[in-house]
Amino acid sequence: MNKIGRNPFAYALFTIPTLLLFVIFFLYPMIMSLRYGFTEWNGVSPARFNGLDNFVTAVQDKYFWMAVRNNLYFIGFSVGLQIPFILGLALLVSKVRRWTSFYKTMIFLPTVLSTAVVGVLWGFIYHPQAGLLNQALEAVGLMTWQHVWLAEEATAMLSVLVTNAWQWIGFYVVLVLSAIYAIPKNILEAAELDGATSLREAWSITLPLLRPVIMVMILLSITGAMKALDIVFVMTGGNPYGITEVMATYLYKKAYRIGEYGYANGIAVLILLLTGMLTSLFGWFTRKQEEVRF
Amino acid sequence: MKEIRYRRVFLHAVLMLYIGIILFPLLWVLNSSFKTNKEIIASPWSLPEQLSFSNYWNAWTGAHVGHYFTNSLVISVISAVATLLLGTATAYALTRMEFPRLSKFLKRILMLALLVPAGSLLVPLYMLLRSMYVYNTPLALILPYVTMGLPLTVFIFSAFLKSIPSELEEAGIMDGLSIYGLLWRVILPITIPSLVTVFMLNFLNNWNEFMMANLFLTKEKFRTLPVSMVAFYDQLNMNYGSLCAAIMFSVIPVMLIYFILQNRIIESIKS
Repeated sequence: MNKIGRNPFAYALFTIPTLLLFVIFFLYPMIMSLRYGFTEWNGVSPARFNGLDNFVTAVQDKYFWMAVRNNLYFIGFSVGLQIPFILGLALLVSKVRRWTSFYKTMIFLPTVLSTAVVGVLWGFIYHPQAGLLNQALEAVGLMTWQHVWLAEEATAMLSVLVTNAWQWIGFYVVLVLSAIYAIPKNILEAAELDGATSLREAWSITLPLLRPVIMVMILLSITGAMKALDIVFVMTGGNPYGITEVMATYLYKKAYRIGEYGYANGIAVLILLLTGMLTSLFGWFTRKQEEVRF
Repeated sequence: MKEIRYRRVFLHAVLMLYIGIILFPLLWVLNSSFKTNKEIIASPWSLPEQLSFSNYWNAWTGAHVGHYFTNSLVISVISAVATLLLGTATAYALTRMEFPRLSKFLKRILMLALLVPAGSLLVPLYMLLRSMYVYNTPLALILPYVTMGLPLTVFIFSAFLKSIPSELEEAGIMDGLSIYGLLWRVILPITIPSLVTVFMLNFLNNWNEFMMANLFLTKEKFRTLPVSMVAFYDQLNMNYGSLCAAIMFSVIPVMLIYFILQNRIIESIKS
């Protein structure tokens, strides 16, 4: 690509608008957030630097810890329950010969829907009177199992987690499926020749080979859980009594209460910090394991 | 042999059950969208007594869903077009032009955006948009949407560009095309399918976006569909049938695009 690829004017023309948007609407707000995390600021009068005060407040804030706990629930639910389920489902799809693309399409479907609409739709499913869930329980005579799902302490968080799982499982199934299809056929054929059953084959050959994609899933689950925001915002708004609050919804609440912009940005900094900590802890942990293995 | 057949039937049965879990809520809402409020409460499982589109009409006009639908459409399309224009040009510069250091740096910045949770930027972005006097105008969504859509666009388009042999461009240069001519006449025509995919992905993301739409554009006149849906749901004296119809208005365009592009959308997550 001789001279023509070295046209600085064209290069500038092609990249500067993108760069500009990035600096203005991404880098600048990010830096602002980091900066105001160390101030007391009501969003109107000048910000006053207050060192680590916001973080001290956060550590002593009961509701902040509840939010942290709920983010951890998100991680626990997706790593502990969703990932095994996803692996099982993907293995099943990989075993069928017919309608594979039909299954893939259908399983992936909820992922393309808007979280707001998924939240409203499931909010309606959980509705105490008109909702599908309570009406189904009534139809089979399990009236005592009925709940005001999103308003009771015991069921609210779980209801949100189930909805979130319903929306996102398909994405991961497709991810795992492509990893399964990438496994060389002859490895599996050799196992079959040796008389391995499907279960045995899945357990001792496919799953170990899926290690990298499982790691990716765990990593995405952690970052995804820390990002959790709109599903909670739409379904419960953190209610009842902050039982379903996550860090991002708490940040939002603080931000839009005049006088607490500084604290809100402090929480934003903590979210970034915690996400970084959890992902690097996970990275460290897997590397340790790797060392033990080899 | 018989055992294998049983196993297959079992496999399909399990998968069908899961697909039932996926589809049932959607079909239930579709079914309810044709029923009256009374029917929904009294006989939740039955098919509608008559196929009436009155809920759809009520939602579209009475609840102004048509208005919000148009807002969403306009904002999503404008943002997706702008993302495509900027993204393809940038991707071209980063992969085909010879400024390796700068290109590397730009790619890093774009990568960063994929890692930082958008939620933590909401507040400073809100302050910024206010101070720029674009808060509560359509630009308050278009500018962030374009910015958020760029990384994916640049990455997908860069991957496509790498698969195009450079002989094509060399032939173009022989024909005396400038760099703009190359991009416009040689590269874009052969990448139209990927452009369509990227456009649709960005459109879907913008169409589905909720938090920013909810915070940066509170004027009812400009409100987008997902925001109106939540507002609608929050009203206690709601009309269930119309709510279901409104949900369908938001779901149907997404479904259409998804079923047209399913393979490409599913492929794209691998990268």
